[in-house]
Amino acid sequence: MSPDPQTLPAGTQRFVEALVAKLRRRQVVGSREAALETVLVLRQLVSKARFSNIEQLISLIRAVGRRLVEAQPKEHSVGNTVRKILHHIREEYNTASKGTASSSTKPVYSISTFVLQGQPRKHNVAPKSEATLSLKENDPDDPDSFARVLKPVLMEAIQDVLDELETVYDNVSKNAKDHIHSDEIVLTIGNSKTVESFLKGAAHYRNFTVIVAETGPSYGGHSMARALSSAGISTFLVPDSSIYAIMSRVNKVIIGAHAILANGGMFAITGSLLAATAARVHSTPVVVCAGQFKLTPLWNLYHDYGALDFADPSSVLGFEEGALVEKVDVLNPYYDYVGPELVDVFITNDGDHPPSSVYRLIKETYDDDDHEL
Amino acid sequence: MAEAQAAETKFEIFEAYNRILRDDEMSPPLAAILSLTELIANSQAGTMFELVKELNDGAEELKKHTANPMSLNAGCELFIAFVTLFPHESDSFAQLKTELIKQGQKYASEAISHRNKIAELMLGFIKDDSVILTHSYSRVVMRALLHAHKTKRISVYVTEARPRGLGIRTYEALTSAGIPCTVVLDSAVAYVMDKVDFVLVGSEAVVESGGLINAVGSNQMAIIAKAASKPFYALAESYKFHRLFPLSQYDLPTHNPSILSFPTISPRPSGSETSSAGVSPHNVQSNQANGSSSTPSRLVQISMTSEQIARNPEVDYTRPDLISLVFSDVGILTPEAISQYLVAMFAG
Repeated sequence: MSPDPQTLPAGTQRFVEALVAKLRRRQVVGSREAALETVLVLRQLVSKARFSNIEQLISLIRAVGRRLVEAQPKEHSVGNTVRKILHHIREEYNTASKGTASSSTKPVYSISTFVLQGQPRKHNVAPKSEATLSLKENDPDDPDSFARVLKPVLMEAIQDVLDELETVYDNVSKNAKDHIHSDEIVLTIGNSKTVESFLKGAAHYRNFTVIVAETGPSYGGHSMARALSSAGISTFLVPDSSIYAIMSRVNKVIIGAHAILANGGMFAITGSLLAATAARVHSTPVVVCAGQFKLTPLWNLYHDYGALDFADPSSVLGFEEGALVEKVDVLNPYYDYVGPELVDVFITNDGDHPPSSVYRLIKETYDDDDHEL
Repeated sequence: MAEAQAAETKFEIFEAYNRILRDDEMSPPLAAILSLTELIANSQAGTMFELVKELNDGAEELKKHTANPMSLNAGCELFIAFVTLFPHESDSFAQLKTELIKQGQKYASEAISHRNKIAELMLGFIKDDSVILTHSYSRVVMRALLHAHKTKRISVYVTEARPRGLGIRTYEALTSAGIPCTVVLDSAVAYVMDKVDFVLVGSEAVVESGGLINAVGSNQMAIIAKAASKPFYALAESYKFHRLFPLSQYDLPTHNPSILSFPTISPRPSGSETSSAGVSPHNVQSNQANGSSSTPSRLVQISMTSEQIARNPEVDYTRPDLISLVFSDVGILTPEAISQYLVAMFAG
């Protein structure tokens, strides 16, 4: 029963270790990239794993998920993807086993279940298995029969998660033209692929101007500006220090997110807090574009320092300043925590949501017992 | 005849309520649920309609006898809604009644553990060396603080919480547990706010707007916390969710015309005999006041008279936009989530 990694086939084990190493060495960066890699590993795991009941499979996935999360706790999308897949697997298992097991346990109606009626309803994923499968857990004669019957549906469910990740940019930018109007001035910061495709999507229908803050010290704004202007959007690149001064002319701030937290706040590239606060002072709407795989079941724990990711300080103060390096501490936080009160709307691949309903999305997408992997 | 019998039952319910409430761990909503189950046990009702009517009457009776029925209401409301929606599967009505009684008692015994769950949820939000401001005395806040004390260093400011002075009780409980604690004046909340990491309060009831009803003073605390951008956390067991939508302080059921009313002007009383001791925690001062009242030159009234206190509210309403999060046994909820939750629960 114990989910020790030994039960993993050697090939899968290698696969897991490879991703752990890549995450740890920062060869996989960016939340979508990390999420994609995680799905691929888990797909491999499910297809190769041997299990004779659902608990074994789930603890196997959780064990691998925990390893991946520990390899790089700041890439929240890794854990999110694991949680999402666990949710899908349970869902599939429940629909598939409905015919075989459920008749014995009658739903008990008690006051505590009555109270729980207030809980947001779970997403009902369309079941892959039309007819109920004949599932036999812990069959002593043929321990693999359970896995054999269930695997095809599970693989399809995982494929769904993968498809969602692959189409995330298209789906986020689907309604871009409804958010950006002609002759508007949009301010953005950082080099978010989601924002880039959103702006390009809107550019098919509208003429507008984008002001890109150069986003020091990573200067992702430079590549963003290049990408936008090559798509024919009128683009200005400004230093970060002029964000506040320019804000009075801006109609909308559109930024990306690294992770969206359960309270409606988010982690986003450094400078986002500056832009969002400046926007608040000028009552400029702040729009955040992000895929739902960034929804993280965390409340803003310790966001002051701990949850932030620190990047290489050499871009702030290089070694050429040898004399100074000895005397100062150089910090280069990679993300800002932007609180829910500073965000107006999240545009996701599945609808637009205010920060206050993020908690509901999270309740719907993940199972409560998976918050701690 | 039927009326006489009903009166008898009504009389019993308040007795039962008080008896149950004598247990220190029991909170008013649960006591209300338990006394309603006793009402069912004693009920002669032969149909659902009669039973629900008796329950409503019983709840009404409890309400009448208590000065501050907010949290009690929430419990009654939950149980009556449950009874109304309970699926009829029993063979006879008597069986249904025993089933309902069992459910009520089961819930009350389970619900005692809700506080532990809330304390566990809260733990993640308390950093080492946190300074916490709390208000008055709340069992669930005490549980959360004592639980946090096991693993983290915390220190607590507690308001005195006039007029009942329950902050002193919090102070004593925390100090005896070894948590550094200081009592601050209700009027010093703004003074202390910059020193605190977050505000933590319990609740009488959480209402449909997502707002909070709690001992008077919570609202000003929330306003000051908001002004100082400090998080304001409320702890509320799910049986305190109350289907009520107050738009202002004066929409609360506890408000009555005598609260905040202006007295009819009468010639100034010559002495301050009315400043009876026991009303104020400053017994020493009120004695002084009594002593000094003999010299007419110093007619300074140091403590409030009981009539003056009677013109003051016991609870106030805190708007949802001032509350950062509500911790309950069903999870951590934003104020918006509370309203969705309540609608889903009672619409069901």
